[in-house]
Amino acid sequence: MAVLPFRRVFVFFFILCFSLFYASVALGSGIDDEEFSEELLLRPLPDRKVLSHFQFRSRAPPNSSNGRHHHLFPKAISQLVQKFRLKEMELSFTQGRWNYDLWGGFDPISSNNAKPPGVELWAVFDVPQHHVDSSWKNLTHALSGLFCASINFLESSTTYSAPDWGFRPASGRLRYGTLPREAVCTENLTPWLKLLPCRDKAGVAALMDRPSIYKGFYHSQRLHLTSTEFDSDDVDSGIVLEQTLTVVLQTNGKKAVLTSQETKLQPSWSLTTMFGRKINGRCVLAKSSNVYLQLDRGLVAVLNNLQKENEISAPGNLAYEASRSNHGFELSVKPDRVLEEAESQGKNPSVLYEFAVGKYSNSESFDLGLTWKLPVVWSCQQAPLSASRFLMGSGNERGAIAISWKSSQLSQQLLHPDVIEENCKLQVNVFQVVPWYIKVYYHTLQVFVDERLEAVSDIVEKIRVSPSEDKVSPGVMEMILKFPCGMKSAAITLEFDKGFLHIDEYPPDANQGFDIPSALISYPNFHASIQFVEDKSLDKSPILAKFQEKSSVRSYTEVLLVPLTTPDFSMPYNVITITCTVFALYFGSLLNVLRRRVGEEERLLKSKAAKKTGQLPQLLLKLSAKLRGRSLETPQSSSTSSSFVSSKLILKVILVAGLAVAWQFYFAS
Amino acid sequence: MHCKMCTLFDSMAVLMLFLVLGSSNFGNCMASSSLLSSSESTMHTNNWAVLVCTSRFWFNYRHMANTLSLYRTVKRLGIPDERIILMLADDMACNARNKYPAQVFNNENHKLNLYGDNVEVDYRGYEVTVENFLRVLTGRHETAVPRSKRLLSDEGSHILLYMTGHGGDEFLKFQDSEELQSHDLADAVKQMKEKHRFKELLIMVDTCQASTLFSQLQSPGVLAIGSSMKGENSYSHHLDSDVGVSVVDRFTFYTLAFFERLNMYDNASLSSLFNSYDPSMLMSTAHYRTDLYQRRLDEVPVTNFFGSVMETIHTDSAYRALPRRSSAGVEVKMPSEQSAHNNEREMLIDSNIANQSSGFKTEDQKGVLTRLWDTFGDRIEKIEDVDSFVSYGLFMMPPILLLFSWLSW
Amino acid sequence: MAKKKKEGSFWIWVTASIIFRLILIYFPSNLNLSSRPEVSTPLTSLRRLAEGYWLKQSSVSPYAGSMYHGSPLLLAVLGPLTIKSIEGQPNNLLYSLVFVIADFINALLIRAIGQKLQITYSRSLKSLDLDTVSKSSAFMLVAAALPSRDIAALIYLWNPFTIVACVGLSTSPIENLAILLSIYGACSRIVPLAAFGWVMATHLSLYPVILIVPVILLLGYGTDTPPRKLLLQRRGGKLEDNPSNDSDFHQGQAMKEPELAIVFSWRPVNLFLLWIIIWSLYVLVLCGIYVKQYGGLNEMFKSTYGFILTMQDLSPNIGVLWYFFAEVFDFFRNFFLIVFHLNIIFMIFPLAIRLNHRPCFLAFVYITISSMLKSYPSVGDSALSLGLLGLFVNELAEMQFSFFIFCVYVGVSLLSPVMHNLWIWRGTGNANFYYATAMAYACLQIILVVESVSAMLNHDRKLRKLSSAKLQNVKS
Repeated sequence: MAVLPFRRVFVFFFILCFSLFYASVALGSGIDDEEFSEELLLRPLPDRKVLSHFQFRSRAPPNSSNGRHHHLFPKAISQLVQKFRLKEMELSFTQGRWNYDLWGGFDPISSNNAKPPGVELWAVFDVPQHHVDSSWKNLTHALSGLFCASINFLESSTTYSAPDWGFRPASGRLRYGTLPREAVCTENLTPWLKLLPCRDKAGVAALMDRPSIYKGFYHSQRLHLTSTEFDSDDVDSGIVLEQTLTVVLQTNGKKAVLTSQETKLQPSWSLTTMFGRKINGRCVLAKSSNVYLQLDRGLVAVLNNLQKENEISAPGNLAYEASRSNHGFELSVKPDRVLEEAESQGKNPSVLYEFAVGKYSNSESFDLGLTWKLPVVWSCQQAPLSASRFLMGSGNERGAIAISWKSSQLSQQLLHPDVIEENCKLQVNVFQVVPWYIKVYYHTLQVFVDERLEAVSDIVEKIRVSPSEDKVSPGVMEMILKFPCGMKSAAITLEFDKGFLHIDEYPPDANQGFDIPSALISYPNFHASIQFVEDKSLDKSPILAKFQEKSSVRSYTEVLLVPLTTPDFSMPYNVITITCTVFALYFGSLLNVLRRRVGEEERLLKSKAAKKTGQLPQLLLKLSAKLRGRSLETPQSSSTSSSFVSSKLILKVILVAGLAVAWQFYFAS
Repeated sequence: MHCKMCTLFDSMAVLMLFLVLGSSNFGNCMASSSLLSSSESTMHTNNWAVLVCTSRFWFNYRHMANTLSLYRTVKRLGIPDERIILMLADDMACNARNKYPAQVFNNENHKLNLYGDNVEVDYRGYEVTVENFLRVLTGRHETAVPRSKRLLSDEGSHILLYMTGHGGDEFLKFQDSEELQSHDLADAVKQMKEKHRFKELLIMVDTCQASTLFSQLQSPGVLAIGSSMKGENSYSHHLDSDVGVSVVDRFTFYTLAFFERLNMYDNASLSSLFNSYDPSMLMSTAHYRTDLYQRRLDEVPVTNFFGSVMETIHTDSAYRALPRRSSAGVEVKMPSEQSAHNNEREMLIDSNIANQSSGFKTEDQKGVLTRLWDTFGDRIEKIEDVDSFVSYGLFMMPPILLLFSWLSW
Repeated sequence: MAKKKKEGSFWIWVTASIIFRLILIYFPSNLNLSSRPEVSTPLTSLRRLAEGYWLKQSSVSPYAGSMYHGSPLLLAVLGPLTIKSIEGQPNNLLYSLVFVIADFINALLIRAIGQKLQITYSRSLKSLDLDTVSKSSAFMLVAAALPSRDIAALIYLWNPFTIVACVGLSTSPIENLAILLSIYGACSRIVPLAAFGWVMATHLSLYPVILIVPVILLLGYGTDTPPRKLLLQRRGGKLEDNPSNDSDFHQGQAMKEPELAIVFSWRPVNLFLLWIIIWSLYVLVLCGIYVKQYGGLNEMFKSTYGFILTMQDLSPNIGVLWYFFAEVFDFFRNFFLIVFHLNIIFMIFPLAIRLNHRPCFLAFVYITISSMLKSYPSVGDSALSLGLLGLFVNELAEMQFSFFIFCVYVGVSLLSPVMHNLWIWRGTGNANFYYATAMAYACLQIILVVESVSAMLNHDRKLRKLSSAKLQNVKS
């Protein structure tokens, strides 16, 4: 009677307990748990291309919280961090060159995600100084296994270097290496995608159709991880793995035939025309999964001008306008949010449209499209100086490396106030690694400013050189240059001799030439950061956080291709034989000259004797000797000599035989 | 390389010693003996494939296509990716000359993209050298080399070794710069046999004069097939005018044609594969060598090498063999370790003795010199301006010279 | 009177050569010899020295980065000059002047050595009573024109190799200076000078270490003479065959005897060894102080002598070893390194035994051999050996193939730059062509050495014949 309600109560209580328990668990997990977020940033580029920048960020709490188990975080990476005690590591596979003039050099993406061609790897270790190299070697092997690339070539000490302050401001136990000629292809992207919780099956990553990605003009696949496992001082955020894929795609025009009107018009594009795929919903494991469309400052300025002309509205509520339909272009999908850049230098803030992928699904999938209505022409914001590097000289004996800077219009407008007072300086950091077979003469460093030769000490504020050791280590040059602000152009040159390698050291395609990895030029006084208007929800979105952090503007120069002289690869046997022959000639002939004495003396004496006594007296002498009954000396002597000779010969034969026997005895057994 | 070899031989010798020791104590003589004579007794445990494309440069597209189509086939027939060692000497898929980026085709009708979404290339580019190839076969790597780059086969494994490239009489060109001689291959296989790295090995070569490459083999359990006899060339099958080069070789093309008809569960025999090669189509005579192979070809299914199909043997107790072997291993290690320790100890001891004695000896006569040198060193340390000092020294040189020359005139 | 004129003409030629050098120095850029492989080897190139000095100034070890492989003292002397430059003048003026002066001194030293040689030579001939014969016979006809010492000096000064090495900013003139100092000191029995020269030469470039044998012989026996046996038997003959009636001749012999040192005098040799120890300690201490904060002497030896002996730099030069070691298989490398260096050492003792009565000529032979077989040969070395060759004009008057050798010298020194240009700059040629010229050059020097040695031996033979003939004449 009273049992039933009691049981009900009990069951209810039980359920309650469970619910509470689950809630608590949920809360607890909500506080400190692994999290993953996926984002895609699209940006139209002035030269009819579109930049698409995937960013995946996954964070693992420090191991103290939950042992070695991971829900989302890739186990391989955490094992790497544990094994090699990595503080920070960045690995990037890149194909093509980032076009700093057209695609911009002053925004976070260009300065963080524009990478040198091939593979670039750097890592900061948290091990004692004498272990750093060994753990670097092991790390390269592990990564080569993980990413199907021959990163293990970075193992040899001729390929990696230990920059002091040139590469990153505070770099302790840092190692840096690049492989400019490393091929980048599907087999590198696949393992990279396998690190994501839902691979390329769902979410933003589903867009990654290999052919369309590798058809792009530039693609850079980057993996950056920071771990605060080992340094206890600052806030312990565990391991943060940030994977970015930056692709510059041609919006492949379905309408190949362009009328004169449309040629002026920027090509309209959509995700399907670029990737041939759509986004079917988010990756359910992702904490946030958004797609952003960014219009950079130049474009916004142009659009504002358009609107001013057409007196539609003040640029103030451009955002509101754009959300429905902007005058210049039209979006196929209505953005969920419009962010505007907090007022920075330049009066036209860049605009960011945010689309949340979460609410889409297989039924109605997300396919963002942008159709231009008016022809617009703009230019991206460029770095204060545009740097380029080239080789000088001809022939395969020597040459010179030159890095030249040209001031872009930005530096004018930025430094305009400063130009008035004289002591304004424009600081430039150069970090350059040169392989050992390029023997650089650092004392031939010359600095030109506006085509005038300047004293090195005036411009070069600080320089650190660790010269290259033959077959041991590459040459590293880190320098801080301070140029006068008003200058138009500058250049530095370094002369070098080309080394000669052993035939085994040449690669199979030696005639293609050898690469000098690209140099890193950074401008520490300029910070590429875009501050968007303050919003409580910003901290959740890593890509915006990335935009906001102050990082100095950096740019990589071209990779240089140096042809080296090659010996004749088919010659070794000939060379060995010929050279040894010459040495034998020297040795033998000289010895022969030196030991010629005895025989010649005898011959001389004999001939003298012969000359002295003619034939007839000889005969008479013999005859008389016969008569005297005494045998003649000469035959005797000859016979003795012959016997002597024969004994000598026998001795020699015995000696040789003995040697042969000994040889047999020792080497046959 | 040489010293590595020696050390390796030493280690092998040590291993043999272990075996002898192990067999000496009664408990596990059977185990060790079985371990020694394991070629027939062991069952087929797993399948491995080593697929090598040895030729560089764009115009050798077809060699990479050959290798990749074999790769696809063995994957389709059930060999997992971690058991396939794929060596590609150049990057064709993302080559600048490739009109279809990230795609490789072995047929004009671009039906099938061999370079699918997950291909795992283990050795590529400059890594594909004779040295690395032999290291993979014989399993001699540096400690740092990851598992994905190793051939971790055991004495029960069936290994498919496919090689394509430009070959000649008893050699195969790697990267157009070095050669793999048939003797090297034979030695490597012999070592593999001695180290119980395979039970059965199928070597498949698609080069010119392919059959000469395996003429030196001696190890039992090896089956070899080559695309052409000595003096014959192997020709490419057809040219793709879009890609611009010929995309597949005849031998491989017809091999694939045979395999495309199969799935994992067919049991077509090797003989049927070998008989499927038609000299008129190949324009060369496929030559196969079976004298080292025990089983009859018509009862060996192709999936024996090209797929991963295990015959399941029901055993009442799981892992019968294992505990014995492990115990053997343990028992075997014991004496060796002890001996090692003893050696170390002795070495330490006499080294100590040596140190002490030498120390005693050296102490007295070295004392003066060292002290002098130290004082001198301290003096030097006190000098602050080195350059000026050295230049003074140099300027002192001529006067001293002249003075003494004059004195000794 | 005629002698005066000869003197005058000699000095004119000397000044002319120096002026010629100075003129060349004013066009350093449009004939940039400083980067020619024939002129500047990794050991002697001044650019590398400047690099080393720059590294040192920026407080890095001058040997860091395998650029500089020379001696620290050279760095201390020449380094500052590479930075300083008089405005208005080409900035290579200062150190080129140093090299010009070094060349001048070298010529004077050669001349002095020649003087000593000639004195002893004529004296020994007189002691053999061969002077009349020699005058009449073939091997004084060259000396009629100019004394051999002036010939040698002028050969050295006007040798294109020397000029190129001097103008091309290689430090080989200074190395030659050290070598000549030691020989001169030994000739004129100035022990400290000989020791100094030998130590410095060995310190600058390792190979002159083998010159210790001729220097010791020089100090022990004095300069070149005909074979001593000859003198002995000659003297014996005199003593026996001369009746006691002409005693003044005896006096003459008696006062002549000590000067023709027949017996080996140990005192200068011991002094020499003592001085070697002193000088080498001096040099080592200086070097040790100079490089003490850069890894000390070990580092220095590793990157100077080690670099010479292990042949690390494979850039082409006029030797034959660079191509050999660029092509040879790695596991043979050490073996061949040992063999090639033993090749020099093997020949030392046979030559010393055979030519122990002609130490100067022995020194010449050693210098030629080392300039042929050293790891990084340059024309500066062969310039020295050719200059010394001039000293023995009279003895070697009957050398075979001399015209052939001259022609090949000209041919090689014209062809080798062409081949180098074709290979390196045009890219049309091949390494083998350049290697072939190096081969020809090596063979040439081999023939030179062998022929000169045999000619010298023949000369001695001839003297012996003459003297024996005289003896018989005297007897009969």
